[in-house]
Amino acid sequence: MTVTPSRRTFLAGAAAALTIPLARPAVSQTLPPQAPELERWPDAFLQIDTDGRVTCVLPTCEMGQGTHTGQAMILAEELGADWQSIQIVMPQQPSDPYRLPFGQMRSVGSYGIRFFHDPMRRSAAQMRMMLTQAAATQLGVPKYDLVARDGMIMHADTNRAIPFADLVPAARLLPVPAEPKLRPEAERTLTGTNVPRLDTPAKTRGEAVYAIDVSLPDMAYAAPRMAPVFSAEVEAMDEASVIDMPGVLAVVPVPRGAVVVADSWWQARQAADALDITFTATEHDALDEATLNARIAEGLDRAGVPMTLQRGDPLGTLDAAETVIEADYQVPMLAHACMEPITCTAQATEGRTELWAGTQGHDWKRMMLERELGIPSDELFINTTYLGGGFGRKTWHHDAAQAILASRALGGRPVKVIWSREDDTRFGMYRQTMQARFRGSVDAEGRITAMTVRVAGPQMGAAIVQENNMDPFSLLGLVDQPYAVPNYAVDHAVVDIPVPLSAWRAIATSFTGYWMESFIDELAEAAGMDPLAFRLLNLPSDSRARPVLERAAEMADWNDPAPDSVHRGISVVGSYGSMVAQVAEVTMAGDRVTVPRVFAAIDCGRAIHPGQVETQIQGSVIDALGPTLRAKITLQDGAAVQSNYTDYPLIRIDEAPEVAVAIVETGAPLGGVGEPGVPPLAGAVCNAVFAATGRRIRSLPLSDHGLA
Amino acid sequence: MTDFTLNGEAVTSDADPATPLLWVIRERFGLTGTKYGCGVGACGACTVHLNGQPVPSCALPLDAAADGEITTIEGLAPDGNHPVQQAWIEVDVPQCGYCQSGQIMATAAMIREVPDPTDADIDAYLSGNLCRCGVYNRIRAAAKRAAEIARS
Ligand code: FES
Ligand code: FES
Repeated sequence: MTVTPSRRTFLAGAAAALTIPLARPAVSQTLPPQAPELERWPDAFLQIDTDGRVTCVLPTCEMGQGTHTGQAMILAEELGADWQSIQIVMPQQPSDPYRLPFGQMRSVGSYGIRFFHDPMRRSAAQMRMMLTQAAATQLGVPKYDLVARDGMIMHADTNRAIPFADLVPAARLLPVPAEPKLRPEAERTLTGTNVPRLDTPAKTRGEAVYAIDVSLPDMAYAAPRMAPVFSAEVEAMDEASVIDMPGVLAVVPVPRGAVVVADSWWQARQAADALDITFTATEHDALDEATLNARIAEGLDRAGVPMTLQRGDPLGTLDAAETVIEADYQVPMLAHACMEPITCTAQATEGRTELWAGTQGHDWKRMMLERELGIPSDELFINTTYLGGGFGRKTWHHDAAQAILASRALGGRPVKVIWSREDDTRFGMYRQTMQARFRGSVDAEGRITAMTVRVAGPQMGAAIVQENNMDPFSLLGLVDQPYAVPNYAVDHAVVDIPVPLSAWRAIATSFTGYWMESFIDELAEAAGMDPLAFRLLNLPSDSRARPVLERAAEMADWNDPAPDSVHRGISVVGSYGSMVAQVAEVTMAGDRVTVPRVFAAIDCGRAIHPGQVETQIQGSVIDALGPTLRAKITLQDGAAVQSNYTDYPLIRIDEAPEVAVAIVETGAPLGGVGEPGVPPLAGAVCNAVFAATGRRIRSLPLSDHGLA
Repeated sequence: MTDFTLNGEAVTSDADPATPLLWVIRERFGLTGTKYGCGVGACGACTVHLNGQPVPSCALPLDAAADGEITTIEGLAPDGNHPVQQAWIEVDVPQCGYCQSGQIMATAAMIREVPDPTDADIDAYLSGNLCRCGVYNRIRAAAKRAAEIARS
């Protein structure tokens, strides 16, 4: 794509700046071309201003994963700019270059670095070449004698240097080079180092603006009152019951309930609680945990389920095997429980709806708001703030819809909707509950000869289900498990459940990793082998799982006997383009499991910021430990039982393991980092619990087994 | 009318005295560094100092702050450079950062009482502060570093 930068501007008043459009992602990563009306390219992607500030418009939000810092490093390195001069901003509307391989602009799938790395480098290289060309003309020297460094183009021989800012007026008139020439590996000296995160100072001074902090002139506040049963609607509501309460401005009907708008959030909250409202009866009003589990378990025995993956002759091999190991596994629903609760501010006026949101799902919001409220895509503008955590929850639109309806009811005044922690915990959008039946056999040498996996539970959405019932949100981690199993089958008996579900960090691999790595341990036990030796025997010689397993084992002194009272479990799971192995150490205080240390090794390709890789893996381990030990969502009378951090207990500092992280670079392509640390943890812990107690834990959390 | 001192300044609020201090600080005085996480004193995101003691402002009615001295993250140090903040930047603690005002306020109170905190002290003083991103390894390191900076 060639674009003359001088004809293109993208920020108001920035006409004199040098801008570069986002290079199309590599062919392998692009979708088929969209209809012309969807080809709404941003006018430019990378801009350098006449004061030298570099702004890059990127679609990934900052929700803790450090992505903006990593992106700034990649750009600064390629451009030769000071990384601190780089500002990452987000577009107000989605457009194609920002869409991920599945066609949406979202901050999901640990894509932020790995997907935009190459396009960012190409654009930065184009910009550097234009600046260099401008400098060459100005200095009267050949281009190849110049280097771009520290925000300047330098001529070493004559000791002259021109700041980028001074070159912008000339450079912006040059054509964008069609073939960006990337820096050679030897010049890539910024990525791979631990620069301070760009957002840390603001986040230590209380200055970072999250969605809940947005403040607009004349803004009103709203609190929802929503039906506890997920599919219920309002049956009757008496607005008069609260309209005279202090500060109350309006009561606005919304799907599944109402929001009360007031002068302050506390007033809105008080009135929402006091609101006289009843909800319709539904056929799910009696649903509870046991009924739900039984309904899903039916799928384990179902006949006639389409085979998603089959190789060799798994059933014949199992029939002929001397011993067949069989085990049923289960995981409960989970809440995301982001520290910042669900919140959105909206201002809805004629022809323009503007949101201030901490969102992971720009396209999803756009699509849902178009469908539910009839807002045309080109009339919706989203201002993205920092997110106080996302974990897959903040792709949704319900809070935005409430804020928009409230703003409309107030004649276009901005309204901020804040859900209480209880609203958030009880609303739904949970990680799915799933079950599986594993069968497997090993030969006398300890090689896996056959395995079948029957998954039972909901599918996460028809839209992403591929051929043969392949639902990535249900089956990743199984269909792509790393072991050499010559006879192997995976299928999924779909059992719909009347609960709204949402992607939860690491999605399917958050439970398939636990299942597979526990079952592999069961097979190792049947083979009479050490769990590490068994894994290495059954992994192909070129598997990416091997180096990380070996490294994690080495860090944990796996081959030396554990100290008294320490029990170890090992696990390895590949997800989001990365491979992570973990060894968990478990000690028992009576019946209570504690996890003092975890050793993790990750292969994520090139580590752009090793310190951020480390903290993401540490955080992932601690995140995954909560639902391994205690956290789960259960139902009673058709509604969620849990409501707050008191009954949805997550890990605190006094229980947090010390997590040692090693990065293993094997030359693999860039992988994700935000999610891959989650999947191995539960398996590693439960395998250590087996070592400690002889009990195989086939459902989570451990507290259900009296172990936490 | 409730009078109190907010980050060294005398202020008055006409909000209902039963309103949790958190919402008064955030909405009436525009100091949004103090966060809402749970509303029931279970997460520590809303931690402020009342007369030097760390308290969950979500569980503190406005009238309990009457005539008291309230310090928020914005008022912890005039230049945002309290030893705890320095240490937090040095160790690069935050991920999403949402819990961090509370973590920092709790740590600042801890090191005033315990100038050289052990791991057990840190567990005791900071276990009321949830971090959903799980950056506890760095919080522990930074808390010790903050104490060291404060002692020097
Ligand atoms: S918001 Fe106050 S302790 Fe959670
Ligand atoms: S940094 Fe995200 S909750 Fe602590």
